Amino acid sequence: MAGMTGERSQGKGLLGAPARAQYAAMAAMRWRVFINGLHSIHGILELGATGIAWMFYAFIGLGAGFGLGAGGYAMALHAEWQFLPILFWITSILWLTLPIVVASYQEQSDLGILLRFPVRFGSYFTLYLISGLMEASTIVGGLCCFGIWLGVVLARPQMGAPLALVLTIFAAFNLLLVRAIFAWIERWLAQRKSREIVGVVFMVLVLGAQFLNPALYHHRDYGPVSRQQRREQAGETWARYAPMLKSAYRVQQWLPAGSAARAAQQSAEGRSAQGWAWLGLLGMWTLAAGGTLGLRLRAEYRGENLGWASARTRAPERTWTLGGSGACTAAIEKEVHSLFRSLPLLWGMGAPLLLVLVLGGLFHPGAALHSFSYALPLCVAYALLGFTQLFYNNLGAEGAGIQLLFLSPTPIRTVVLAKNLLHGALFLVVACAAVALGCLRLGLPPAALMAALGAWLLFALPCNLAAGNILSLTMPCRIHPGRIGRQPGSQANALTAVLIQAGTLGIGAAVLSLCWALDKPWWAIPILLVLAAAAYFVWKRVLSHVEAMALERRDQLITSLMKVQ
Amino acid sequence: MEQAAIQTHGLTRRFGALTAVDDVTMSVAPGQFFGFLGPNGAGKSTTIKMLTGLMEPSAGKIEILGQPFGAGSLELKRQIGVVPEGMALLGRLTAREYLRFVGRMYGLDSETASRRTEDLLEFMQLAGEHKKMVTDFSHGMQKKLAMAAAVIHGPKVLFLDEPFEGVDAIAAGMMKAMLLRMIGRGATIFLTTHVLEIVERLCSHVAIISQGRLVANGSIEELRTGVASRLPGTEMEQRLTLEEIFLAIVGAGGQEEMTQELSWLA
Repeated sequence: MAGMTGERSQGKGLLGAPARAQYAAMAAMRWRVFINGLHSIHGILELGATGIAWMFYAFIGLGAGFGLGAGGYAMALHAEWQFLPILFWITSILWLTLPIVVASYQEQSDLGILLRFPVRFGSYFTLYLISGLMEASTIVGGLCCFGIWLGVVLARPQMGAPLALVLTIFAAFNLLLVRAIFAWIERWLAQRKSREIVGVVFMVLVLGAQFLNPALYHHRDYGPVSRQQRREQAGETWARYAPMLKSAYRVQQWLPAGSAARAAQQSAEGRSAQGWAWLGLLGMWTLAAGGTLGLRLRAEYRGENLGWASARTRAPERTWTLGGSGACTAAIEKEVHSLFRSLPLLWGMGAPLLLVLVLGGLFHPGAALHSFSYALPLCVAYALLGFTQLFYNNLGAEGAGIQLLFLSPTPIRTVVLAKNLLHGALFLVVACAAVALGCLRLGLPPAALMAALGAWLLFALPCNLAAGNILSLTMPCRIHPGRIGRQPGSQANALTAVLIQAGTLGIGAAVLSLCWALDKPWWAIPILLVLAAAAYFVWKRVLSHVEAMALERRDQLITSLMKVQ
Repeated sequence: MEQAAIQTHGLTRRFGALTAVDDVTMSVAPGQFFGFLGPNGAGKSTTIKMLTGLMEPSAGKIEILGQPFGAGSLELKRQIGVVPEGMALLGRLTAREYLRFVGRMYGLDSETASRRTEDLLEFMQLAGEHKKMVTDFSHGMQKKLAMAAAVIHGPKVLFLDEPFEGVDAIAAGMMKAMLLRMIGRGATIFLTTHVLEIVERLCSHVAIISQGRLVANGSIEELRTGVASRLPGTEMEQRLTLEEIFLAIVGAGGQEEMTQELSWLA
């Protein structure tokens, strides 16, 4: 038909005229959304916050890239190629774990809107990958790859082209793998049954992993050790684990990071044929990751419905109820129902607990006393980062339901209070879980530290709730309850939240350090309790103003939470 | 004189330079089924948002059941039920959980909320969907649920924004019967819809808004008489439909020219 970029007349495929026209339309749409966003102060704030977030990710990436580059330079200079896999594994782990670390903060675009248009599957897949290029993990991972390349090439300029090829395929593999993992997790967690199974598996893994440390170090004497004793212990450990490490080394080379390193190593040692063979293996891994992602996206593309359909039969509904008739209990009950069916919020709460494992592993009782003292508070503080969305965007999951809160005769303050009570209770439960897991991993800390940690939690909770209530009313953004990724998000909200969280953590650390430095660790408790009382007072003040703030901003709140992307 | 159920004086809402609702003054008597009509973008939803406290007027006053109404009028809100433009549903609850929640938010005790929830689910033929999340409901089912939520607390004034859109004929018939029963018991209903046949069948009084201004207000019979008298060649005995009245008041200018210009349409 006239005026159409018809497939028949102008070519098919990813780069055909229709696909190119769609890419251009998509880019123009994103650009217009960006420009239109700048017409408001909120949009400008968002832009500033996004810039800061990108700089932060770039900073992490540059730091990691510099370290890996230095490692690559040293290895290339001394031809110690057998250590090259370490660099690739670090990059891969960073690439895979960063999305978990920034789960509560990252803004992602949803390409589901494309499905109503005549978009080819290839174009949909390509756009899905391109949107992945804008994520923190890709920025950091890309900079790590560039660091490795630069480091090696500075020492061995002839490695430039082959290493660039290896790293490009390696980067493509990681990009595809991360996207595939998230797409599949989202698929599994979208259905109630599979979510329950995954939930149980997740808990078993987290709890099981906590016992690794005591199991591995049960033979150790945790008393003060001399340098000589430590060297002997290291020798014994090496002797015990060396065969295992050698086996692991042989296995890892067949895995993506290992095969990438082997391909580079063979090329550096002049064995081109073997190099191509390892590169081929890496290519197959990349295709497998792409295929896994493709399977998922194909189902989405075909209009898969993951809704919880049920047979039209009458059966008594078994649902959790809190009892009581007040609006506050109704709001808590509704919040519990919604919360445990909201993937991003569950993911946000659960994911940091995984990182407690990593943080716990960085410290061990044999380390210097000072660093060990901070291990548990750090683990607990990190686990609580998962509450960012709940605290700082506590109306985000309401969506169009926000209207009901304004229509009903229940004051908004009551609803916010109910949310605060529930989120606060969950905060304390997760904090206790993190403390319990941390103690299992690190051993019991001094009583003064435990008490100070409790006092800090009492201070951090109202601080975060008060600030969260303000941000929830001033910078709300809609949370799609069925997705982990692809959330529209608000970078300004996330950045402010992280600053406040860092502030509360910093105050706690300063008080602890000061009291430890003065050798009066118990003093930290009354100081933190005084701060907690002040924070509680501030939270109450904020709560008393919530009603007026909400009513004043109801137009913007309703618009923000109901708007489509 | 009987107190109006809904009364506005000079109701105005501006968005920057645009005046979406301009100096609207109207009155709806208790027990009236009132149709509020207008073309797209005329200001109907904005007016309903102001009348229900979802949006603050730039100027003017609102009275509901004889009392000044604002977003903070919590006691008055207990007397009001609303099916708003976006339906105000909570997607991750089941229909039963949602209705129980709404009932309790409107001040019903837990037992009453549960009992009315069961009644409404049965009435709206949603009782079988006990595990389905609201987000997985069809559009029509969501509309039925929104209607159930609007009436669970037994409101005296009901605001309905396109309540029948996407609802099947059987359910629509039941909902209309329910609304007429409410009118019979003294409730007041303020309805906006684009389906003029529904308004003609249900409403006794109508107001028409165009470009933010109220251009007609009265009983359907009064509007019919008014339009017939000013349309040349219209015989008084000819019974104008509400659609003809609406088009005559709002104006259908340019329709023919537009249709001709879209000559590329099949």
